[in-house]
Amino acid sequence: MVVCVYRATLIIYNAMSMQKIDPTVKKETIYIALFVIVLSMAMEAVFLIIGKWDLYVLFGNLLGGGFAVLNFFLMGLTLQSALKKEPEQAAASMKLSQTYRMFMLFIVAGVGLLVPVFNAVATIIPLFFPRIAIALRPLLDRNKKEEKEGEEEDAGEDDGV
Amino acid sequence: MLELAIGIMLGLCALGAGCAMIAGIGPGIGEGNAVAKACEAIGRQPESRSAVTTTMLMGCAVAETTGLYALVIAILLIFVAPGRFVDILLAAIK
Repeated sequence: MVVCVYRATLIIYNAMSMQKIDPTVKKETIYIALFVIVLSMAMEAVFLIIGKWDLYVLFGNLLGGGFAVLNFFLMGLTLQSALKKEPEQAAASMKLSQTYRMFMLFIVAGVGLLVPVFNAVATIIPLFFPRIAIALRPLLDRNKKEEKEGEEEDAGEDDGV
Repeated sequence: MLELAIGIMLGLCALGAGCAMIAGIGPGIGEGNAVAKACEAIGRQPESRSAVTTTMLMGCAVAETTGLYALVIAILLIFVAPGRFVDILLAAIK
């Protein structure tokens, strides 16, 4: 276990120190982080409404949400470095990275469940927030597209006048 | 007899957790294959790098959720279920 954590840390450190972060990875991570923050606030509100909010919920939310964003960022970094390699090497590095990230996830979820400082439910639920953010993405993209088309139409009418 | 029942229960929980984690293999293989194909696509059309990276990131995150579900089930089976099952068993005996 210790060896796996050490190797994961080493890989992350190497990935971060050796390469510049791709703007696409940065942009998508910010998008996911914003969504995680919004959904975390919604979750806290639900806990408040049902009367089960305490500091442990907040700590659990911070742990789960923070790790969800970190997991996505690390996946982006691996993807960025994998895209520069040969297809076979890229597939292998992605599989290895997924294994390490899954292991880290297991540790975080275990800590969230076993350490009484963290609320178990509030730790586990934020891990699924990136998935929700991705599911909602087409809706946002559609709105942006419609806005763009509206602007283009307006510009076309102005030119015609 | 009670110890045997509890032992079997704990063993089955651990076995179930192990079986659930088989689902963790799939996302790794899927992500690997997807990235390999993305590399080929970028090799053919380098100008589409940004679009391919965005799609890949989203696709990988979606694929990884499957493993996450399995992980949650496994964690529940390891940390939560045994205690509950033992409580139910003891309550049934009393």
